[in-house]
Amino acid sequence: MKYPYYPGCTLYSKARNLDQCARKAALRAGFELEEMPSWNCCGAIYNTNTDDLAAQVGPVRNLAKASQLGERLVTLCAACYNVLKRASEHLQATGFEADRQRLLDFVDEPLIRDVEVVHYLQVLKELGWEGLRAKVAKPLNGLKIASYYGCLMVRPKEVLKFDDPENPMVMDELVAALGGTPVRFDFKSECCGGYLVVNHQAVADACSLRVVENARTWGAELVVTTCPLCQYNLEMAQRRRSSGNQLVPVLYFTQVLGLALGLAEAELGFDDNRLDPRPFLLTRGLL
Amino acid sequence: MARSRVGVFVCHCGINIAGVVRVPELVERVKTIPGVVSALDYVYCCSDPGQQLIKQTIKDKGLDGVVVACCSPNLHEATFRKAAAEAGLNPYRCEIANIREQCSWVTADRDAATEKAEGIVRTMVAKVREDVPLFRLQVPLVKRALVVGAGIAGIQAALDIANAGYEVVLVEKEPSIGGHMAQLSETFPTLDCSQCILTPKTVEAGNHPRIKLLTYSEVLEVSGFIGNFRVKIRQKPRYVDLDACTGCGICLEKCPVRVESGFDRNLTRRRAIYRLFPQAVPNKVVIDAEHCRQLQGKRCGVCERVCPAQAIRYEDTGRIIEEEVGAIVLATGYELFDISRVGSYGAGVVPDVIDSLAFERILSASGPFAGEVRRPSDGRVPKRVVFVQCAGSRDANQGVPYCSKICCMYTAKHALLYKHRVHDGEAIVCYIDVRTPGKGFEEFYRRATDEGVKYLRGKVAKIFRRADRVVVWAADTLAGKKIEIEADMVVLASAVIPNPKGVELARRLKIALDAHGFQSEAHPKLRPVETLTAGFFLAGCGQGPKDIPETVAQASGAAAKVLAMFGTSELYHEPVIAEVDEEVCVGCGNCERSCAYEAVKVDVRRGKAVVQAVMCEGCGACSVACPAGAINLKNFTKRALIEMVDV
Repeated sequence: MKYPYYPGCTLYSKARNLDQCARKAALRAGFELEEMPSWNCCGAIYNTNTDDLAAQVGPVRNLAKASQLGERLVTLCAACYNVLKRASEHLQATGFEADRQRLLDFVDEPLIRDVEVVHYLQVLKELGWEGLRAKVAKPLNGLKIASYYGCLMVRPKEVLKFDDPENPMVMDELVAALGGTPVRFDFKSECCGGYLVVNHQAVADACSLRVVENARTWGAELVVTTCPLCQYNLEMAQRRRSSGNQLVPVLYFTQVLGLALGLAEAELGFDDNRLDPRPFLLTRGLL
Repeated sequence: MARSRVGVFVCHCGINIAGVVRVPELVERVKTIPGVVSALDYVYCCSDPGQQLIKQTIKDKGLDGVVVACCSPNLHEATFRKAAAEAGLNPYRCEIANIREQCSWVTADRDAATEKAEGIVRTMVAKVREDVPLFRLQVPLVKRALVVGAGIAGIQAALDIANAGYEVVLVEKEPSIGGHMAQLSETFPTLDCSQCILTPKTVEAGNHPRIKLLTYSEVLEVSGFIGNFRVKIRQKPRYVDLDACTGCGICLEKCPVRVESGFDRNLTRRRAIYRLFPQAVPNKVVIDAEHCRQLQGKRCGVCERVCPAQAIRYEDTGRIIEEEVGAIVLATGYELFDISRVGSYGAGVVPDVIDSLAFERILSASGPFAGEVRRPSDGRVPKRVVFVQCAGSRDANQGVPYCSKICCMYTAKHALLYKHRVHDGEAIVCYIDVRTPGKGFEEFYRRATDEGVKYLRGKVAKIFRRADRVVVWAADTLAGKKIEIEADMVVLASAVIPNPKGVELARRLKIALDAHGFQSEAHPKLRPVETLTAGFFLAGCGQGPKDIPETVAQASGAAAKVLAMFGTSELYHEPVIAEVDEEVCVGCGNCERSCAYEAVKVDVRRGKAVVQAVMCEGCGACSVACPAGAINLKNFTKRALIEMVDV
């Protein structure tokens, strides 16, 4: 099965490891991501920061292009998912008809059908955990993994309809399917500090450390995430303010997925991690 | 057959009607309606002189039909029909034209209101001209009651009925009676020990010569109708002979299996053979088949070997019991909203975050720590406890939108009892509002604050674990601050929800439920213990959250309704029911499928629909569903309806 795929800018720069593993792991999991042509930035912070209609032009152009490829568009980055999903829900909302027309007049290509924006995790879930379990080449040996969803994957719940915003489970189900032990913790969907890291680093670090500390309290050995900013903040806050056995590796879920599905170490993009997880994975016999 | 001597009486209802409708003009217009021989008005027709006017006019003018243009028939139809009957007219030839709720109260313009009132009166005149005399149906009455649920509500209702001299079948799904009240420590606002005031009632119910107690039993189905219900009850296999067991308790010490005790909210472990608590009524044990080694096919049989009374019966399969009763009281009770469904409050897995019934068990002298306040994770005495109100209540996002009513008071009680037992402990209550509308309630809440319980106004946002403590994020909306409290234990005042088993039973019995699964009363103000299904009455939290005194009052109210019914020699049923024209009926069964009361059935042998008169509530659904027009509601025949529309 082939899905049109929107990677987004960050996945071409800082979060290459999120993207690379995802594409390769997908093939092993039984589907293929086909990158949509000439996509543009989703808008990211502009869309989450303002309700100005002009900020919607970016995502709407992407949706218009995607509408020519199929009914669904797969995303991976939590921020892109949030922005594109909200834009597509917005376009379909009643009471928004006039704005919809204004937006579509502005975009050079027609929206030929409504596009359903789905996350990579939802595709995995649809394909079924049992099937995935059968494809696992290197089970995770009961590794205790905390799934960190952050804010953007689950909220606002009425629009994203992704999972329970206070206790999301889909990544935990993935961890279990890969042979890991999902660790429930209290900060699954609390904020990592987000862009505050740019101007108020101490505040952002406090938010991120709270997440890591709570995961450790519940016994997690590893944290997985879907969001490049969360991943960056959780790693950098630890690098700046923690050390030794307090450090908890933070991986993209696609890295863990790739690892379990048998991708080679070189394909897992650990070089791009700012807290090298390899020593830990070696001690657990996973490399 | 249209009647031609109809009298119309227009009521002013003070200014309720006359302030909008031009009554003198309406009377003049009504006089021109065919068949009307008299039209009069009066300021309050429902008053004695008003009724006298109606009676006198019936006699003087020889009326054969009466229309009273007044308020809703829900209010005074019975009054005027009685007056008509006293004047010698068949009461079902007296009709109400509702020109208040359906006209003057909802129409501002006087011309339009007068016009509309005339139309309504014309419609009812057309109907009364088609009305035939009807007579109430006599129904035999079994003077025996079924009470479902033996918490304090069911026990009280059963005792009241039994003490008045009638037999009661009291059915309880648990192995012993007492319900949630048996789990409580002390009761607000007097701090009586709950068990001490409950056990005299459980003992009386257990020993009462007129109460047939069926524990560990569930109602399977109810057939029949008011006065004549047939009830099928399943007694679950107890694996213990109730007559033989002496309650000596030897088996409780020897059974090798330990499982979490639901009665103690999983804070202690009981054996696979158990009783809920030492003062259980009946004081007999029961085997939990799911955990019993013997019943799971493994080798054991210890209880059988040690039982001095030889009361163990591994081969027990339970039994079905049938009972005949005339009235049914539903006292199916409540449960607490499952805290595992509230993700932001720890989803039920953060250690030392417990719900209010668990804290009741901790406070209870028969609880896990013999009444000492200790926390479940490590048994330490908690020095700071946060009580979280509205945990699930008043929260459409994560719980239920309604107020659970009892939590403000029991939380004040919890905090106060905690302070009494841990003198240097700190009790903090996070609340949205403190609601204390009850006798002595505000004073009790004041007592809690006076004795040092701290109240913080603001909803709790999040509860999480930090090392071996529990952190609460809340707001102090009076100070306008976000606050973080590190505590040793957190008690959630979880929302009160209807017992799921009660919801399921009510659905099967077709008892109306509200959006949250609470049983609906027949009228929210004037018929609070009756249901819309005749013969069913309500008591306790199955109808809505309430505290013990209110539950007991409602249970006695339900019992009084049952006794009022049993006090008459016979029951009567309204005669406005469906009637089948067998010449036309083809037995298609549409009527049977449309009937909410199971009152119409097709007689397969004859291929005709048959109406079970006393079960028919006269709703008319079958009449609409019948493709052949063979089934009509008495005095709402198709002919009458056409006449009423065509005015």
